[in-house]
Amino acid sequence: MHKKTAFSFPDEVLEHVFSFIQSDKDRNSVSMVCKSWYEIERWCRRKVFVGNCYAVSPRMVIKRFPEIRSIELKGKPHFADFNLVPDGWGGYVFPWIVEMAGAVPWLEEIKLKRMVVTDESLELIAKSFKNFKALVLSSCEGFSTDGLAAIAASCKNLKELDLRDCDVDDLSGHLLSHFPDTYTSLVSLNISCLGSDEVSFSTLERLVCRCTNLRTLRLNRAVPLDKIANILRRAPQLVDFGTGTYAADLRPDSYSDLAGAFSSCKELRSLSGFWDVVPDYLPAIYPVCSKLTSLNLSYATIQSPELIKLVSHCPNLQRLLVLDYIEDSGLEVLASSCKNLQELRVFPSDPFGVEPNVSLTEQGLVAVSSGCPKLQSVLYFCRRMSNEALVTVAKNCPNFTRFRLCIIEPRTADYQTLEPLDVGFGAIVQYCKDLQRLSLSGLLTDRVFEYIGTYAKKLEMLSVAFAGDSDLGLHHVLSGCESLRKLEIRDCPFGDKALLANAAKLETMRSLWMSSCAVSFRACKLLGQKMPRLNVEVIDERGPPDSRPESCPVDKLYIYRTVAGSRFDMPPFVWTMEDDPSLQLS
Amino acid sequence: MELRLGLALPTPPFDTNGSCSSSSSSSGGVGGGKKRRCFDEESRVGGGVPKTLHLLVWNTNRRDDGDEPRDLDDNSSSVVLNEEEGLVGWPPVKAWRKKLRRHNGRPNNNRIAAAKNSCGGCRASNSTYVKVKLEGNAIARKIDLSVHRSFESLTATLMRMFDISEEHQQKSFRLAYQDREGDWLLAEDVPWGTFIRSLKCIKLIRSRSC
Repeated sequence: MHKKTAFSFPDEVLEHVFSFIQSDKDRNSVSMVCKSWYEIERWCRRKVFVGNCYAVSPRMVIKRFPEIRSIELKGKPHFADFNLVPDGWGGYVFPWIVEMAGAVPWLEEIKLKRMVVTDESLELIAKSFKNFKALVLSSCEGFSTDGLAAIAASCKNLKELDLRDCDVDDLSGHLLSHFPDTYTSLVSLNISCLGSDEVSFSTLERLVCRCTNLRTLRLNRAVPLDKIANILRRAPQLVDFGTGTYAADLRPDSYSDLAGAFSSCKELRSLSGFWDVVPDYLPAIYPVCSKLTSLNLSYATIQSPELIKLVSHCPNLQRLLVLDYIEDSGLEVLASSCKNLQELRVFPSDPFGVEPNVSLTEQGLVAVSSGCPKLQSVLYFCRRMSNEALVTVAKNCPNFTRFRLCIIEPRTADYQTLEPLDVGFGAIVQYCKDLQRLSLSGLLTDRVFEYIGTYAKKLEMLSVAFAGDSDLGLHHVLSGCESLRKLEIRDCPFGDKALLANAAKLETMRSLWMSSCAVSFRACKLLGQKMPRLNVEVIDERGPPDSRPESCPVDKLYIYRTVAGSRFDMPPFVWTMEDDPSLQLS
Repeated sequence: MELRLGLALPTPPFDTNGSCSSSSSSSGGVGGGKKRRCFDEESRVGGGVPKTLHLLVWNTNRRDDGDEPRDLDDNSSSVVLNEEEGLVGWPPVKAWRKKLRRHNGRPNNNRIAAAKNSCGGCRASNSTYVKVKLEGNAIARKIDLSVHRSFESLTATLMRMFDISEEHQQKSFRLAYQDREGDWLLAEDVPWGTFIRSLKCIKLIRSRSC
């Protein structure tokens, strides 16, 4: 007998209530309340995020959520950005597109990160989804401008085409000319990563002209400065603009034309691009600086004095990406001018040089931490650091959510005391209670991991390189960091013990990457056998791991939880450690 | 100013006097690689050991020399540090940034130009596999440069790869490469070291009678 209580609502009401719940976490919670909520929820879920494309199969996702309109997938591990994952490892989107093409014809949005996308996949997208609206490819590769042309030509309702940091094969297909003349729905276009694709300026201008809803336009380097004015005048409603190369031989009248064009863009809040900057032309953007909230100068090879002038014009800046040419002096000006700063990224201009080429030290970071009370997210490359500076930064910025420090030379000690930087990073995790992401560098012993395991309870992602002394370090992290989802480690003396002692922890995480560590093949096999819900991948370009003694450390290890079992698309240099049912512990 | 670790949780004390060998710290960076190895005997682990499955109970009370991967030092892959060639993937700057340099023919400033391109500066800092094209073939191949130390061994491998077995055929090809700035050059003009450091991809071209 099925008793309906006085408190049960008709399905439609529940569905309506659920439509206000957008976050994945909350949706997942809703689906676990009871079976009927699970059923109702799964039919009305519109967006799915799959953090690891191998954690689940496309068929399983579509079976559970047949009415999705948006899917986001991530493929390769983060260290693939730094060439640590060999080409051909995996992360192919095609099987997903094939499944969705058949089962989810109303799909509107596809967002991919670190995946291999092919022209075939793009053509299938263009053909299969009649109401396709948004394609966001972040750090993807494997496709050419031909595939993109198919999207441009077929997707009448396309609003967003965003290629961020992608490796696109430029076949000079004049991508923009494939948008039909009747096409007007573009809202966001980011082609900044296209290399030599010659942009037909008249095509671009016409496109910009007829797409009156265009809010984001990020051009590639091929667009010279003297073409910018015309584009801006045709799109004064732009909010986010990325220039092409910021260099040209500007005549005086074209310079003032450019300045005028910028000042006509009253809604502009974000600027990027700035390749090959000629400093004399920078003042053209001053009219918009006072309202700018985001500025990406990470390609701008201009020196500190120009950067200082620019930054002092931007009091409302919330996000700044810049090269270390800004130097400590520039960061001090930033600290005094930009009180709303939330995110700062300082990139190295000469990452492989042994000697510092600029005067950027821990002082700049300390200055910004002291002057910018809202600072939450930092990525900082430098060549020296001290515990004292880190403790000061930690105390100044208890609201940090992301702190990534890269001291360029591995194992660099505190330059003042020559001690490890354990105490400094310890202060970061102790004071910044909401820290979600942390990257370590410098000379570090097991002690820093003890601090992390003790204090970093909200930490979700940790990146470690050239640190620690023994398995104890890894054990501290795996046993202490309750919220840990992603752990990536390279060149640390962590071996079998900590991994095997914390095997269960690995099922609570999305993934673990360990390369150039001390984990033996034997331990990998054991983990693979005993943990059926983990894929334990050994990546080794030297040849089959069983051609070496079992105690030999593997080159690279990638462990991730999955309900999809072993994958079938592995290249010859990847081995999955198989489950052995007879050895499973209950 | 020392951080005091005030741990309230009752966890088993870890005698960290254990047999942690200094396996992979053989080549140190700045600071001479001489890390302090003394462990505080009373140090405890923060947080508990997970309550579910252990495949190994954490216990360093006994010396477990046998478990240490002693062959670590013999195993070249675990020691990525190679002072000459540079580290793979370090510092962690995104590889694609160097690709944007590819099409720039006008460096403003040599130092800056080199800096912009420095992500590709050390050939060995990236994957050691490079593309090889044979003039006239649509499909390119990939070759692992790290196993070669001379033009002779490289060309021998290339000839095998493209099935160019006849002597006279082999002589009709020349090795060319594209450097970081996007220019194509003849490999025979430069020493091996320069070639390796600056190349992006390789092409076997048919030598005309020039």
